[in-house]
Amino acid sequence: MSSTTLDPSRRGAHAGTGEVAPGGMSGTSTGPGPSFLRVLNSEFIKFRTLLSTLILLGCTVLVVVGFGALSAWGTGQFAEAAATDPQAAAAFAAQGGDLTVGVPTSGIAFAQLILGSLGVLLMSSEFTTGMARSTFAAVPKRIPAYAAKLLVVMVTAFVLTAASVYLAGLVSLPILDNYNLNLDLASPQSVKMLLVNSLYVAAVAAIGMALGSLIRNSAGGIMSLVGLFFVAPIAFQLIPGDFFVEARKYLPGNTVEPMTAVQHVPDTLEAWQAAMVLGAWVVVPMVLAAVLLKKRDV
Amino acid sequence: MIEARGLTKVYGDKTAVAGVNFTVEAGRVTGFLGPNGAGKSTTMRMIMGLDRPTSGTVTVNGTPFARHAAPLRDVGALLDAKAVHTSRSAYNHLLAMAATHSIPKKRVHDVIEMTGLADVAKKKVGGFSLGMGQRLGIAAALLGDPQTVILDEPVNGLDPEGVVWVRNLVKYLASEGRTVFLSSHLMSEMAVTADHLIVIGRGRIIADAPIQEIITGKGQIRTRVRTDQPDQLMHLLAGNGVSVELQENELLEVTGLDPRQIARAALDSRVMVYELTPLQASLEEAYMELTKDDVEYHSLITPGAAAPVQSGGN
Repeated sequence: MSSTTLDPSRRGAHAGTGEVAPGGMSGTSTGPGPSFLRVLNSEFIKFRTLLSTLILLGCTVLVVVGFGALSAWGTGQFAEAAATDPQAAAAFAAQGGDLTVGVPTSGIAFAQLILGSLGVLLMSSEFTTGMARSTFAAVPKRIPAYAAKLLVVMVTAFVLTAASVYLAGLVSLPILDNYNLNLDLASPQSVKMLLVNSLYVAAVAAIGMALGSLIRNSAGGIMSLVGLFFVAPIAFQLIPGDFFVEARKYLPGNTVEPMTAVQHVPDTLEAWQAAMVLGAWVVVPMVLAAVLLKKRDV
Repeated sequence: MIEARGLTKVYGDKTAVAGVNFTVEAGRVTGFLGPNGAGKSTTMRMIMGLDRPTSGTVTVNGTPFARHAAPLRDVGALLDAKAVHTSRSAYNHLLAMAATHSIPKKRVHDVIEMTGLADVAKKKVGGFSLGMGQRLGIAAALLGDPQTVILDEPVNGLDPEGVVWVRNLVKYLASEGRTVFLSSHLMSEMAVTADHLIVIGRGRIIADAPIQEIITGKGQIRTRVRTDQPDQLMHLLAGNGVSVELQENELLEVTGLDPRQIARAALDSRVMVYELTPLQASLEEAYMELTKDDVEYHSLITPGAAAPVQSGGN
């Protein structure tokens, strides 16, 4: 850009030089505009400069690692009881040999709640604080800003969940070892659990962002998210009728188990079907949110 | 240059902006004046592509804002002092805005320095006073060194020093050949800042003229005259479209003659005059006259008028 300073106190220095913003009169600017990479950089700056975001990310790590350790302890206690109590032994045997493989991901239900809410908040706060007017004045096509934010949120949710789950695994290893239980973090099933759960949390964060964009209100967005992931599964179970039994399988929160199952459990979705269902739960609200974002006034 | 053609915005059954046409030229400060709720902010949001016009178009330098290749470098706007996430620092807010257009960090520091925010730049915006928020909004508007600057109520909440600063800033920007479009409901501020005035009321353009024309255009020339022979002078001047009013002892207000004509008549009749002051209608009077039918929210109690209902307790 030019050396134009816009400083009124320097008016004398400029007088008569005819210094005008470059390219101004023609209406075409000379400097770079909002390319996707620049918008992505901007959204990343916005993401990491909010203390509340960083706190929520820290909470996610703590919760996942904490629940992993608790679960390792609980599993160990269960195994110990099985050694002396025949009833517990029967229950233990029914669980199969890979009881420990689910230990690192036992905090996922809470990670999805935190990162899903974060997705809602990052979008709804744009509207509640008025920041959206600045954001969309800088990126008037709007969709690039939305896509960039989505990318930042999903990648962060995926990486953070994967790292937390791995850390939870590392923390639970000595605890499990204490009870003579084995956990191989490099086994295909462990890796599958880590990747599917991380993708799932990224999907929940994306759904949260779409809700935040559609509802534009933090409390309303988070309530909708909680309704979809925590209330609906229970409600569908309580309502009698085959329809709700069937519909329950298609709730986003019930897609993880079919995707991580060692073998297909009867009366559940196939892994690929579950993946498609979760994909639809992400894509449909996301597209709807993007279309409305483009259309609505800010 | 900003051009609005048939620009209309309807919210539900309320028409905020009713098919307005205006042009904001480069190189001068154009004031956008109107009572609260007249449609100023809505018009400005439509210029910035934030609100979609119900019908009509508005362009900046010939192109709708959303189709500019580098919008922040072409148009800078302060639309709302609170268009900032309250938990982010001013510096980080500007840094994020700058990143969208690869505006260097140095420029961010420059606008912070320029707007006097250096001491608070690292603090959360949520703790800012209204005046600080305005300064941050102006800093954001100037970030891209834009050819067109749009400021919605920029002096709201500013201290007197800040008001003077904004006044000098917008005049300087216009002197550089930029387009400056400034809204306000403060007539006194407009009178000293703007070169050209667009007056809006109830979503319609009421006047679009140089500020001097708006002030003098309405009403006739009035002159305040002090003389020790008021009766004689009244007798001399009155009649033929000229009205003379005795306001107090030795003070007359003459309408319909300019000071030169009054002085000539007095001299010819050897009446001593010791004050001749041309009275200019203030912008305030002109504005009241223009907008008296177009005010959206009339005050229920006007100064000098008794409250219509006397409720107990006060």
